[in-house]
Amino acid sequence: MKLSRREILKAAAASSAMMAIGGPFGVIKDAAAANEPDEWVKSVCRFCGTGCGVMVGIKDGKCVTVKGDPNNHNAGFLCLKGALMPPIVYSKDRVTRPYIRQKGKLVPASWDEAMSLVEKKFKEAVAEGGPSAIGYYGSGQALTEETYLASKIFKAGLGSNNVEGNPRLCMASAVGGYVTTFGKDEPCGSYSDIDAATCMMIIGSNMSECHPVLFKRVAARKQADPNVKIIVIDPRKTNTARIADEHVSFKPGTDLAILNSMAWVIINEEFDNQRFHSKYVTFMTNEKEKVDFDAYMKFLEDYTPEKVETMSGVPAAQIKTIAKMFAEASATTSFWCMGLNQRIRGVWANNLVSNLHLLTGHIGKTGATPFSLTGQPNACGGVRDTGGLCHLLPAGRLIKKEAHRNAVEKQWGIPLGTINPKPGLHTIALWNAFSEAKVKAMFVLCTNPAHSLPNVNIYTEGMKRTDNFMVLSEPFMDAETVKYCDVLLPSAFWCEKRGTYGCSERRYSLLKKSTEPLGECKSDFEILMDFAKRMGVDPKVVPYKDVDDVWDEWRQVSAATPYNFSGITRERMEKESGILWPCPTEDHPGTKIRYVRGEDPNIPDDYPKKYHFYGKPDGRAVIWFRPYKGAAEEPNEEYPIVLTTGRVIDHWHTGTMTMKVPELRRSFPVAYVEVNIEDAKAKGIQNGDDVLLETKRDKMVLKARVSDVCRPGLVFVPWYDANLMINKLTLNAIDKGSKQPEFKICAVKISKV
Amino acid sequence: MNRTNLKISKGKLVGFALFSVLLMSVVSLSQAKGIKHLKATDSAADCYECHKYVTPRVAQNWLESKHGVQLMKCFVCHGQPDGKGSIPFSVKPDPVAVCAKCHDPAMQRMKEKFGTEKGCYECHPFHQNSLHHDAYKKSASKKE
Repeated sequence: MKLSRREILKAAAASSAMMAIGGPFGVIKDAAAANEPDEWVKSVCRFCGTGCGVMVGIKDGKCVTVKGDPNNHNAGFLCLKGALMPPIVYSKDRVTRPYIRQKGKLVPASWDEAMSLVEKKFKEAVAEGGPSAIGYYGSGQALTEETYLASKIFKAGLGSNNVEGNPRLCMASAVGGYVTTFGKDEPCGSYSDIDAATCMMIIGSNMSECHPVLFKRVAARKQADPNVKIIVIDPRKTNTARIADEHVSFKPGTDLAILNSMAWVIINEEFDNQRFHSKYVTFMTNEKEKVDFDAYMKFLEDYTPEKVETMSGVPAAQIKTIAKMFAEASATTSFWCMGLNQRIRGVWANNLVSNLHLLTGHIGKTGATPFSLTGQPNACGGVRDTGGLCHLLPAGRLIKKEAHRNAVEKQWGIPLGTINPKPGLHTIALWNAFSEAKVKAMFVLCTNPAHSLPNVNIYTEGMKRTDNFMVLSEPFMDAETVKYCDVLLPSAFWCEKRGTYGCSERRYSLLKKSTEPLGECKSDFEILMDFAKRMGVDPKVVPYKDVDDVWDEWRQVSAATPYNFSGITRERMEKESGILWPCPTEDHPGTKIRYVRGEDPNIPDDYPKKYHFYGKPDGRAVIWFRPYKGAAEEPNEEYPIVLTTGRVIDHWHTGTMTMKVPELRRSFPVAYVEVNIEDAKAKGIQNGDDVLLETKRDKMVLKARVSDVCRPGLVFVPWYDANLMINKLTLNAIDKGSKQPEFKICAVKISKV
Repeated sequence: MNRTNLKISKGKLVGFALFSVLLMSVVSLSQAKGIKHLKATDSAADCYECHKYVTPRVAQNWLESKHGVQLMKCFVCHGQPDGKGSIPFSVKPDPVAVCAKCHDPAMQRMKEKFGTEKGCYECHPFHQNSLHHDAYKKSASKKE
């Protein structure tokens, strides 16, 4: 071909264009190269319960970038939130000095002024109403050492068991489920099970958005072996369902019936593992009566696939398919999260998943385990394990048991009888009491209850009262709770302090301090120590010069229990990237599988049986006969649709952190209501229209996103928007066992505005 | 030159040149004035919603890739086209600054095996699975 002059010029223009953007395979060299860090400091992501290890890139004393820790379970990978953490640290909204509220406005104060007021108010409250008139509301995002310290200060130092935290809102039902089934909290498997599972059931969890790096591992497993089966059970067809072999959509709340129905199919198709359950399982009715396998079969007759199809909308054939998939696989792992936990039947839902594993023997083997996903980065290590709830003591012990109190008192070197024998108020009861000024002084740390409590108007009204007092330790000025606190303390944030996070798989990892706290910020350890000193707590109760002292004590306290992680010394934590407890000695590698001889160091090597559920007196786990019972507020004629709430990958919880990252903020700047296509058509709602949502409690206008994600009869609203707080509409009904609220189901009516 | 020997036809050469010019103008326009991209904060980071029409092959490749399934959204690597993001905007992100956040272990292994001459992009298609996972068979937008 003869190239014309015109064509040569065009080609030249094209190639110079390519050169301008750096050649065909070149890259744009930008300032990023100049920002190469001086050092990388080991830490853990600030966000979800996956607990990815993170290396913090420090340049000139500032955090400039992050990368995944290659030696932690995430093998260097991060999700979009973790990858974009640095700008949050230096946000202009950081609280950098203490404030006191005077005449309705927060006025800058010195640390001494602020803490003196806190001391005064707490002492007044105790003088007036005793230790039960004060409370602490902490967080599954606080460091383990901070929660352990706070719990000890209040319970052992001040005589108050009103120690609670936001894990009551997310994981209490999982705790209740594990404790009633196995006698002990926390999963018995680990993330490694994903790599060996041949079937994975994901129920009540949008894993791809809420545990992204774990979802990545699940997807990689399926890609490596296409015979691996994925079952996703969710009334929303989320991004997680993209990799599902079976997506099961159901009428919200009927998952209890579906799980029982799967058990019915498993037994009727002879897929149950008789050898396993006859040896290792006790069958118990809902009334706590010990019965037998025949009684279980009889109980399940109410849950045949045909009966459950009617109540749940799931075709009987699909129930049979997924039951067989679950049972027939060589190794089945289940994952679940808030869809099961944030329910008034949360404990039951948790039990019913474990039931399937105990029925089939898919437990205690690599790739086979019932794995409860924890939402927050440190609900497990920080709150559940240290006993940072109103009814707990460290390492699974109970306040109501005298033997447990005495054991802890001895370990803490305090007189027997110091700990109040009566459990304190659980979260909803505590905030109810604060709203009535029966609890007069609250210490709130690392959480945002004015945004995150269900039926939140009650509680923000309560916070407005002038006859109660709230001190808040919070890094961000724009957190909703800041509007109501009486004293605001500037908290050091993430990489500005040292401590431990314990993630979903029982892995305790160290977050090293890599930057200095901004302004006058202090770590919550320092804040709590100052508080304890001012409140006259016996110095013997808080003999710590730094967080490492706290860790060392907690590690040794654990040694008397099956949590025993005395082998996880600070030196090991510095060298390694997280260790799974139990870990009884310094040369122990950590434990991937609990309750199995040869894997769990709590079981002697010569124990006669392979499995030992030592949390139960007879060593057997329990299959509970949990019936289907509906939600607290089912849809009715006036409010015919179910409102559910949840997260998106881009935002964490109340958005105080992720909204500081421009990319994440612009990805989802405001809340919306996700409406099913059919429902939208029936109501004349188009994508982008204003829609009025009304529950018995409040109403709100949100823009519609019309799609096929929600099933008909269901709407979804994310909860990250402080200007559109969907918790004004949600219900604070709680699970009787776990006291966890039912965020996931309430009744709403919608109309086009 | 003999017409029958030439592999690239006249039409395709012109087309490629035009495409490059378009690409250059899109890049330079966006870097200069943000004209081609949404200015409003609403949906400014929802790149896919427009790019599935504007650059459908790239968008589809991303959606079907590991990054797409795992919601590693556009802005994580590319930043914001108006430059107001927390990371610099780039059409072709710098591997050291961007890819290494998640892929450093693999990059270290490649460095040890093959030296540092090659950049990531010479072998790994930008939005697809790597060469080792039948990426080209998976993409719906690729012609077989």
